[in-house]
Amino acid sequence: MSCTSSSTSESSADQGGAYPERMTTSSEIAQALLRAAREGPALAACTVMAASPGVDVALGAKLLVYADHEIGEIGGGPLQARVTQFARDAIPNHLVQTCVFTPQGDLIEGRRAIESADAVVEVLVEVVEPAATLLVVGGGHVGLAVGQLGAMLGMDVAIIDDREDYANPERFPYAADVICGDFDEELQRFPISANTYIVLVSRGHKVDELALRAVAERGAGYVGMIGSQRRTRTVLQHLAEDGVDRESLDRVFTPIGLDIGAETPEEIAVSVLGEIILVRRGGGAQPMSEHGRSLAAASR
Amino acid sequence: MPHDEVYEAMSSAFETGAPVALATVAQTLGSTPRKTGAKMLVREDGSFVGTIGGGCGEAEVWQEAMDALDDGSARMVTVDLTEPVDGEDKICGGVMRIFVERLQA
Repeated sequence: MSCTSSSTSESSADQGGAYPERMTTSSEIAQALLRAAREGPALAACTVMAASPGVDVALGAKLLVYADHEIGEIGGGPLQARVTQFARDAIPNHLVQTCVFTPQGDLIEGRRAIESADAVVEVLVEVVEPAATLLVVGGGHVGLAVGQLGAMLGMDVAIIDDREDYANPERFPYAADVICGDFDEELQRFPISANTYIVLVSRGHKVDELALRAVAERGAGYVGMIGSQRRTRTVLQHLAEDGVDRESLDRVFTPIGLDIGAETPEEIAVSVLGEIILVRRGGGAQPMSEHGRSLAAASR
Repeated sequence: MPHDEVYEAMSSAFETGAPVALATVAQTLGSTPRKTGAKMLVREDGSFVGTIGGGCGEAEVWQEAMDALDDGSARMVTVDLTEPVDGEDKICGGVMRIFVERLQA
């Protein structure tokens, strides 16, 4: 698709005031958004939501930024160039945020900075991508609960186990994909991207080790492995000795999950998915009430 | 969260040449039912797809969307959920700024 502006001319008939408002967008934009949400690749959609009087940019103007090209336009010039750069960097972070820029394209942060700026443009930057994939390795009790919770969170769930009793559609009716087969072979074949979240909760450390070896270096958004501190360290050591990339191993979340005292498979699932949300959204992993307390302490 | 339902409804409307109004949460302050980026698409007949947070303020935004379909103007709507209406406390208690725009193929 070429980098075309999307039907700006059609909106001109409706423009009355000092600030041109765009009342139209092209079907091309809608189709690109739909495709990004359905199949990918991910894009960052930028929409002008507000602009100071006199700033020459259309409300509702849209720019879709892919990893390597763009569609649409938000006024061109330095503003568009800087928004494009910002949006492109936002793609791996799944960002959805309204950002404030000067008309020259400088990102401004903080209420005071915004108030002191002569003129601003508010741009919603939202990464549009297919539902995240949750790949659960091991269909046992924990895998079952993790899969269920993942589906509840809107993730596309895939389950892999080599035992048919633990990998069948009856056990995982909500799963997008239930794979029964050799772990190594199936994992090698499974597509993995930054939007894939992998949970290793198989029946034993032998299998977890083999599975981790198959996925560690493939750029998943998250890899977590269940097990005690001691056991998981041994697994990581084995893989490091075998030449698996050290940085990739350092990124593995193991032991898996947030420290919330989880005991049952369901509680462990909450702990694991909590960690995945944390990685995806970037929270502080503290009770919300602690924020209030630290704010109170800071103001004293 | 992908908004494929909203985008699909948008594409379908455009295929028939019909305009739609799209309401998108631009900013939230305090406790709000949905976060930035949440979407509701409103068709000319008043039917809609997606949600910007049910109950709390959604009726107000729907009305703005219908108005935008009428007059074609994009607008920013501020929905204040901090004040009780009908003597009942709202569950939420934050403020949302919602961008409403009319879109046509």
